[in-house]
Amino acid sequence: MAEKYPINIWINEDRFKKLEKAGLGDLCEEMLAGLKVLRVYANDEERDKILKVFPTAKFDSATTKSIELLPKNVKDAIFDKVVEKESVDIMAEFLKAY
Amino acid sequence: MAEIGHGKKEIVERILEPSQAKAKMEGLPKIEVNSQIANEVIGIAYGFFCPLEGFMGKADVESVCKKMRLADGTVWSIPILFDLSEGEIADYGVKAGSSVLLTFGGNPMAILDVEEVFDYDKKSMCVDVYGTDEEKHPGCARTYSYKDKFVGGKISLVNKPKINPPYDPYFIPPLEMRKRFKEKGWERIVAHQTRNVPHTGHEWLMKGAWFQAYAELPIEKPLVGVLVNAIIGAKRKGDYIDEAIILTQDELRKSGYFGDHNHMTSLTFWDMRYAGPREAVFHAALRTNLGLTHHMYGRDHAGVGTYYGAYDAHHLLATVQNELDITPVYSMNWLYCPHCGEITSEGLCNHKSEWQKFSGTVIRSIVQDGVKPPRLIFRPEVFDLVMECADKYGFGSPFVTDEYLEKRIPVFEIPPM
Repeated sequence: MAEKYPINIWINEDRFKKLEKAGLGDLCEEMLAGLKVLRVYANDEERDKILKVFPTAKFDSATTKSIELLPKNVKDAIFDKVVEKESVDIMAEFLKAY
Repeated sequence: MAEIGHGKKEIVERILEPSQAKAKMEGLPKIEVNSQIANEVIGIAYGFFCPLEGFMGKADVESVCKKMRLADGTVWSIPILFDLSEGEIADYGVKAGSSVLLTFGGNPMAILDVEEVFDYDKKSMCVDVYGTDEEKHPGCARTYSYKDKFVGGKISLVNKPKINPPYDPYFIPPLEMRKRFKEKGWERIVAHQTRNVPHTGHEWLMKGAWFQAYAELPIEKPLVGVLVNAIIGAKRKGDYIDEAIILTQDELRKSGYFGDHNHMTSLTFWDMRYAGPREAVFHAALRTNLGLTHHMYGRDHAGVGTYYGAYDAHHLLATVQNELDITPVYSMNWLYCPHCGEITSEGLCNHKSEWQKFSGTVIRSIVQDGVKPPRLIFRPEVFDLVMECADKYGFGSPFVTDEYLEKRIPVFEIPPM
């Protein structure tokens, strides 16, 4: 099976309210001592494109195998897309704009 | 009593008295240096780089590259170089036997007594020191950016740097540091090398190393300390700002996660080479000079990308351990286990399927999202201070931005004489 790499969208109160309003509260997972996170996954190709398009982003290959340090506005846009599509499977569509 | 540093050599500060300095620098050609050279002048002059007395000549560079030793046989892993262009060599009349005045920010900093001008193949230097000649390795990139000639010779500081707030209490050169350790009565001191704001994984690395270093010592009074030695040098966009790093490291002591009896924070000026194993050996020499007895090394110490194996540094250190006067303390990763409900070591806990690992990168990502991490992961006092530093020093961001690079408070300045 192809590898999937999470983008961790950390959930503050504001984001959690939006998710609950859309009936998507269950999409959150608890990670790191109870901190809520929404995990949106990228495949190899998408990961490479993300790292190229957003040069501040970093793939944490050593510890978590996740894509981190995307700018907040990009994470906000990914979050909004999840709410709009009511799914975390949005990366292919999200990246079409780039 | 003489203070003995790395290589069993006496630590001697190479700093001239003002009257002597003024007479000696009179009429010398002035060469303005960049921040890397200024950092290294401080490293040499205050004894951080003992036994180096100046910038390396060809015999030392060659021996360091090929054998990881100075020409006299002392273990040394990174070349310390002063570079000039051919044009500058001619313009300033730099030749063996001449002296030049190095200036920083336009003000006199140090005299370089030239012993040698030489060439060195940069590509072969990269392969020897970094194990690669790829330009994308930051150490290689730094090497390739050197000008084409190197100048070896002894350094004498003529004008002490003025360390700006909030860094000033943390600049503690080797001779002063050793005095402070004696005052504290510490018999063993373990170094924590960092360029990070601490999360609880880092905190527990320090606590674990403190236990390891304590070992068989009596426990009636505090005999072991942790010294955080933050590396302050060139910054990359997205790093934490230096002010946040140094102040939050000290905050762990101020907020009681450690105390005066077992924790101190300090800084060393150095532009990281990301040389992995070789940088680990360099850190051993540096921290020996600071008076430390133990040094923490985790996975991929001072590495970058995938150039080095997780434990390459440990293996290289083992080859020279008998010649080092500092004991390595190897650290496993710390993580959060929801089953245990605590931060624990991957070497202890067996709830492997439940482990929640975290890294500095993950914590930065959380902070960047504007979310406050749980206190078990990131201390609230540390988080609040990071945010305060963002407002006070980072132009609204705790991370390095273009604006920060342009307008930041310099860590030190060389005052006019």
